[in-house]
Amino acid sequence: MDPAASRPAVVIDNGSGYTKMGFAGNVEPCFIVPTVVALNESFLNQSRTSSKANWIAQHNAGVMADLDFFIGDEALAKSRSSSTYSLSYPIQHGQVENWDSMERFWQQCIFNYLRCDPEDHYFLLTESPLTAPESREYTGEIMFETFNVPGLYIAVNSVLALAAGYTTSKCEMTGVVVDVGDGATHVVPVADGYVIGSSIKSVPIAGKDVTLFVQQLMRERGENIPPEDSFEVARKVKEMYCYTCSDIVKEFNKHDKEPSKYIRQWRGIKPKTGAPYSCDIGYERFLGPEVFFNPEIYSSDFSTPLPVVIDKCIQSAPIDTRRALYKNIVLSGGSTMFKDFHRRLQRDLKKIVDARVHASDARLNGEIKSQPVEVNVVSHSVQRFAVWFGGSVLASTPEFFAACHTKAEYEEYGASICRTNPVFKGMY
Amino acid sequence: MILLQSHSRFLLQTLLNRLQNLEKGIELDHHWVEFDDVRYHVQVSTKNPHVLLLSVSLPPPSSETIFVNGLPFGAIDAIKAAYGATVQIKDPPRDGFNLTLKINLSKLPANQDQRQSFLVKIASVREVVLGAPLRVILKHLASRTVAPDIDPLVALVHRPRESFFLVPKADKVTVVYPMRFNDSIDTVLATSFLQEFVEARRTAGLHNTPPCSWSLTPPQELKEVSADALLANAGFVTFVIFPRHVEGPKLDRTVWNLSTFHAYVSYHVKCSEGFMHTRMRRRVESLIQALDRARPDLEKKTAMNRSFKRLGLKKESRNSSFS
Repeated sequence: MDPAASRPAVVIDNGSGYTKMGFAGNVEPCFIVPTVVALNESFLNQSRTSSKANWIAQHNAGVMADLDFFIGDEALAKSRSSSTYSLSYPIQHGQVENWDSMERFWQQCIFNYLRCDPEDHYFLLTESPLTAPESREYTGEIMFETFNVPGLYIAVNSVLALAAGYTTSKCEMTGVVVDVGDGATHVVPVADGYVIGSSIKSVPIAGKDVTLFVQQLMRERGENIPPEDSFEVARKVKEMYCYTCSDIVKEFNKHDKEPSKYIRQWRGIKPKTGAPYSCDIGYERFLGPEVFFNPEIYSSDFSTPLPVVIDKCIQSAPIDTRRALYKNIVLSGGSTMFKDFHRRLQRDLKKIVDARVHASDARLNGEIKSQPVEVNVVSHSVQRFAVWFGGSVLASTPEFFAACHTKAEYEEYGASICRTNPVFKGMY
Repeated sequence: MILLQSHSRFLLQTLLNRLQNLEKGIELDHHWVEFDDVRYHVQVSTKNPHVLLLSVSLPPPSSETIFVNGLPFGAIDAIKAAYGATVQIKDPPRDGFNLTLKINLSKLPANQDQRQSFLVKIASVREVVLGAPLRVILKHLASRTVAPDIDPLVALVHRPRESFFLVPKADKVTVVYPMRFNDSIDTVLATSFLQEFVEARRTAGLHNTPPCSWSLTPPQELKEVSADALLANAGFVTFVIFPRHVEGPKLDRTVWNLSTFHAYVSYHVKCSEGFMHTRMRRRVESLIQALDRARPDLEKKTAMNRSFKRLGLKKESRNSSFS
């Protein structure tokens, strides 16, 4: 048997905001780091004619240009403390945009963070259901050529999110995955482990927009936040204080009646002068997540609420899967972590479905009574890294190793084998 | 990152996390694998949240290397010397592992700095255990003696079923690495990397580094070793370590760098492959740009022609009206 199959597979879920990485069979990823690379381009961009001089300059500075980069929190800290590093976000809106940075990012993930030898482990990577096959080939090329991985499986992240709810008693592989990440929001129907590609709906509002909206609200109210820090503060406010309310008007009233109970304080230190400052956090606590339910308060281009998008998505799916889809709506991604998000979603969706059932009952004058449709929004404890957890579960089943594309296959057929990945038995 | 760090980043993070949430008593059960097939497992039960069980499994030794009770010689003493009373060795170790340590988190040093350095020390357990025999030999070198009852040629495990070799003498220790790679491209890159590596030793400013050499055939020192252990497709690297390289605080670093030399080369081979890909990608992009520029832009031309012609027509008509 392949000795690599006896070791746990490496599971890396690259999101636009955060990357989750770890070993299969664990309940938590080893690291969750921002997907960002800080590059020192002062040496890389020099012309080739002066390569000898360039080498000496590098040697004197004590760096190696192609290794002088950082990822994750270290990258953010580096770019703040010195101006020689520039930040690059390799993944935008769920798609890899910069392959150079992406390769570097993986290199650091493997060698500096996980500290494993990529030749020893099978790899499970994730991609969004809308990724172009070419980008999958590219990923395969980097993994097999640069890192010499023995086997690779590129999974669709929504299928993994469904698999996160996988237990021995219940293994439902039919459902709608509402994946609200930092850069992209997708509503993906899955039937028996297969994505129904034609019914995927995307929403141009994601976690980053919530942050921007919170930032905008705080800026408009004139809170005393240093401008260079305001995005980071808004992000922290979003992560720590935001929640979903059931009714905006009531929530406004509640805030106005008892400001002491609802308004929070934020304390920070100005990065330039080191002077402490503080500001209030008020309505943005519930208005932030509200952009998913009433997008018109944030953007004028897109005004369909998330529950309506989900309903449309299920209505466009094949008719025999719809009931099962309504029954299993799974949340995944960091931006579904707001308190009571799933309750609100379930309530709004149920309202839409019930209205439709009533309308059809009225149309038929009660001649045929339709069965009530069960709407169920599932949330679980590992929502933030549900995709990673699903990957960890699947990659620890013995079928996983057989479903991987191996290095031998890659060398025989070329990168095109990475275009498709078989759905394997552990999935349902 | 040029050199690999000696502590496991994840283990350190876990320990620090644990200490911050010591009272919450969350269960922890995590396993992971590092390069050269070193496996770790940490466990904390809710019943006893102050005790952390850390198990380590080492790469299986080859026939030349001797393990005593599943550990390299001197490992037990090294653990006791490094960690003192805070850490106990559990006997027998957890199933499938070579060593299980019982770490009492409530007994750590109170001083912040000391605590931090102690945790880093625990996180570099791999260096302590696997590097133990090397450390013993190099310590004797620092005092310019040869360890008693030691063979003239010592084999130490550094990868699964692979060893590197030491020839300890009173004034110098010769270290020989047979370099093996699985992939044919890796072998070629590693060979040229090592040749460059030896070459770089000769540049100014590196006079004090250990002399090193590379050859395709096994060096003289290894003539007694079985031919099996000498199958190396990327040649042999030899370092000569002098007492000045292991003085005082340098010892730890030397031990770590020597015991992970293969991982270091393999990391840099992968990095160079990545760098080459970057260059290739840039080349493809520039070629595509050149192609795009070379494409005859038909539409634009006709538009220009037409406007030129129209201008001409007007002129003509004007001319005709004049005539």
